[in-house]
Amino acid sequence: MITINNLVKAYNGNIVVNIPSLAFEAGELVGVVGNNGAGKTTLFRLLLDLVRVDKGQIFSNQMDVAATEKWKTYTAAYLDEGFLIQYLTPEEYFYFVGKLNGISKVDVDEFLIGFGAFFDGSVLKSGKFIRDLSKGNQFKVGIAACLLQKPEVLILDEPFANLDPSSQMRLVKMLKDLAVQKKVTVLVSSHDLNHVTDVCHRILLMERGRIIKDIDTTADTLQELEEYFQV
Amino acid sequence: MILTLLSHQWKSFWRGRGVSKSIAMQLFLSFIILYLLASCLVLGLALGHLLGQLFPGQDTVKVYCGLILYYFALDLVMRFLFQELPVLSTQPYLTQNIRRSQLVAYLNARSLFHFLNILPLFIFIPFIFTNIAPAFGAAAAAAIAATILSMTVFNHFLMLYIIRRSVLNTWWLAGFLFTIAALAALDYFHILSLSSVSTFFFVKILFHPWLALLLMVLALSAFLNNRRFLLNNLYIEELSKRSGEKRSTEYTWLQQWGTIGELIGLDIKLIARNKRPRYVAIMSVIFTLYGFIFFRHENLAPFNFYILLFPAIFMTGLFIINYGQFAFAWQSSGFDGLLTGNLPVSEYIRGKFLLFNVSSTLAFILTSFYGFMDWRLLPVLAAAWLYNLGLNSAFTLWFATVNYKGIDLTKSATFNYQGIGATQWIWALVALVGPYLIIVPFVLFGAPWVGIAALGILGLISFLFRNWWITFLTKEFYKRKHLILQGFRER
Repeated sequence: MITINNLVKAYNGNIVVNIPSLAFEAGELVGVVGNNGAGKTTLFRLLLDLVRVDKGQIFSNQMDVAATEKWKTYTAAYLDEGFLIQYLTPEEYFYFVGKLNGISKVDVDEFLIGFGAFFDGSVLKSGKFIRDLSKGNQFKVGIAACLLQKPEVLILDEPFANLDPSSQMRLVKMLKDLAVQKKVTVLVSSHDLNHVTDVCHRILLMERGRIIKDIDTTADTLQELEEYFQV
Repeated sequence: MILTLLSHQWKSFWRGRGVSKSIAMQLFLSFIILYLLASCLVLGLALGHLLGQLFPGQDTVKVYCGLILYYFALDLVMRFLFQELPVLSTQPYLTQNIRRSQLVAYLNARSLFHFLNILPLFIFIPFIFTNIAPAFGAAAAAAIAATILSMTVFNHFLMLYIIRRSVLNTWWLAGFLFTIAALAALDYFHILSLSSVSTFFFVKILFHPWLALLLMVLALSAFLNNRRFLLNNLYIEELSKRSGEKRSTEYTWLQQWGTIGELIGLDIKLIARNKRPRYVAIMSVIFTLYGFIFFRHENLAPFNFYILLFPAIFMTGLFIINYGQFAFAWQSSGFDGLLTGNLPVSEYIRGKFLLFNVSSTLAFILTSFYGFMDWRLLPVLAAAWLYNLGLNSAFTLWFATVNYKGIDLTKSATFNYQGIGATQWIWALVALVGPYLIIVPFVLFGAPWVGIAALGILGLISFLFRNWWITFLTKEFYKRKHLILQGFRER
């Protein structure tokens, strides 16, 4: 689904991403872990053509992401609040995203009903603009908007970080369902080793821009990771 | 402690995001502030003269007294529009080892540094020195000065109190507005003339200076009232600005245009719901009155093309120049999302183009009423409109693609020069003066109307070729897409 060739990105002479070769298949649930500054978010931005590559290429379905926009039709991502439109109400934002993806208002409403438990009453009909919602609720809006698009590729940056425990559990369940049923490729980065080993089939460990471990999750993976991060 | 807090406030003004870090812009900003103050000072010094000329035959001091209450009533209205609660600055201090009474004293002191408090000083006080002191003596002069100061302070704290109260209970605001409207109506229908009341009071003060003490007591009571209220209610949620419940709006009439309609709806909401774009839009509407300054007899009779073309371009194109340069920067906080979503860039650009066209056309419709002054203005306006429609929209959008500075929508509009650098001013000049390159040769050759027609035709052709423009602009955007994203991320 996604192939990376000789990817290099540097800021001011410091190499922040350096991946010679990497591939994701359809339906894989991949977790990316690493300390701060490892290059996780930059990697995601490169995948979405939000940052210019210095060397190398990224192919989504054999299309170079920097050369065409077609991959946007089946890709959805939420990295930070910069992905939301701050001065809209959540409903307006959902309808807007729906409109861009050819989903009618009725279908959007139906979709949102399924999210009632996830939103827990504080997102819809809140009478607030997105900029006035709490960080966690903004995250929920972002994630819901991604799932609304029924993407084939989903990229989330630290989704567990700002969610309350019940929402984290719900998100874990949603991601597991996605990968199984709909053959969606999911990339998730997280500082939460427990969730990542629980949810993901495959884990990439990044350090200073390089992928130093690429493992299929087993029962021992959590311990392996904890050993790596031990101080 | 209060001095420390005030010094923080001073720093936050000069270091704020709205203030450019370049020395040139800071100098420019200081210059503007000083210029405004100097103008007010000049007005104050010349007040005696002005009153003598405007109301010939009457005692200037009497007229002065009559004006005072009018001014302060107007002042209340202006405060309603412009006065801001200096609250957000207290949040970091609430948990520090600072006593509440100190914070309240700081809040009160800080709030006094507002141009609306300095304005009456500059306007009214000089007159006291020039006219009142020599005629009525030092005591009377001091009394009037104290009165002016007291009224300023009183108005200031009264308004703060009303605003703070109306955060919790909108009836306060309604009551205030109603009172003002009632006073205005009474005055308009000559039932209760503000000026005669004013004259009565202040002349009395002139002869009995001790009456000024009454007003000082009034001011003091307003201050103490505010202080008491703050001490009891220094909670963040209760002090912040009125924020009612927001409702979702759908523009059904835009639905028929699909994605473009959606994008235009997004822009409309951006303008309506954010202070700075709203300010830009309102200014563009207000400046359609600019024509009254230029379209006067001395320019219309000989039909001086040079002078008449400028306001035409300015009025029909102001929105494009002010808003359009930052066409992408306005959405800088959500730009990552827009570019990741299923939104073709060409559609996005087409939406902006359409927005400019609509604004220009609306401005043209509004300004076409100037045609009643002189029908020959209509073709000039039409040519300016076509220029803005076809050429200015495209050029300004191109300029927006080389603008890498994002704009923080949450900041207020006054003195907010974020994102404005020398290049923005230069571009505005180019957009306004560009058409002259076409007009001047024709005027010099004695065929000005042909020049006007040429301008209009060029604009029209450019407009008809807008698909080509959009393809070109999309390519230009792609060339710089990552630079734009990077610049917007820095904010």
